[in-house]
Amino acid sequence: MRVKVLFFGRLRELIGVAEETGELAVGATLAQVFDRYVERFPKLAGFRGSMVVSRNQEFAPWDTRIAAGDEIAFLPPVSGG
Amino acid sequence: MTKIEGDKFELVREVIDTAALAQHVRAGQDGAIVAFDGFVRNQSHGRMTRYLEYEAYEPMALGKMKEIAAQIHEQFRIDRVVIVHRLGRLEIGETSVFIAVSAPHRGAAFDACRFAIDTLKKTVPIWKKEYFADGAVWADGELPPTPPSAKSAS
Repeated sequence: MRVKVLFFGRLRELIGVAEETGELAVGATLAQVFDRYVERFPKLAGFRGSMVVSRNQEFAPWDTRIAAGDEIAFLPPVSGG
Repeated sequence: MTKIEGDKFELVREVIDTAALAQHVRAGQDGAIVAFDGFVRNQSHGRMTRYLEYEAYEPMALGKMKEIAAQIHEQFRIDRVVIVHRLGRLEIGETSVFIAVSAPHRGAAFDACRFAIDTLKKTVPIWKKEYFADGAVWADGELPPTPPSAKSAS
């Protein structure tokens, strides 16, 4: 199942990935998607408690299950203004 | 009542024309405009800032800006709203965010403008990196509130 995955701010900078298409298991949760990236980029490990995630441009709880074609974004604390 | 007609939401990469935006919200039935002009400070936590860089999750940021406008139309007796945020590199003194709210009476305009900037800083996915003479850091920021867990979310 294909989904679009986006990283912003310090997370993007840390792993050098802004956007990619990910292949993920049907029924995976957002937390599991993030865990996959932690395996690939161990530097992400400490960030889970100080970030949020969105699914299709809405903030979403970590146990949300994803669907094919979703747009998932990992977002550090926001600092606009 | 939610009113979006006449409102304006933008993410821009050039200088924000604050006077034109204030004019945009001004209408015959109004008696007041309150504007918030946020601009780049020359220091942060005692270090001299050289410049800032902003990035955004653009479609979501615009969506969240529209949600803020819908909320203030709902909560306050206001007329028009503009919310504009600049992205990319900004120099000291340049406007990074501009919000203007018009209303028949000043109280609603003050309250709505204050609510809009406070909420923007907590919920709109925009990030700021501060560049100093001796390095750069991502600003601390705030964690947006996340909806409660829904086990059967689809």
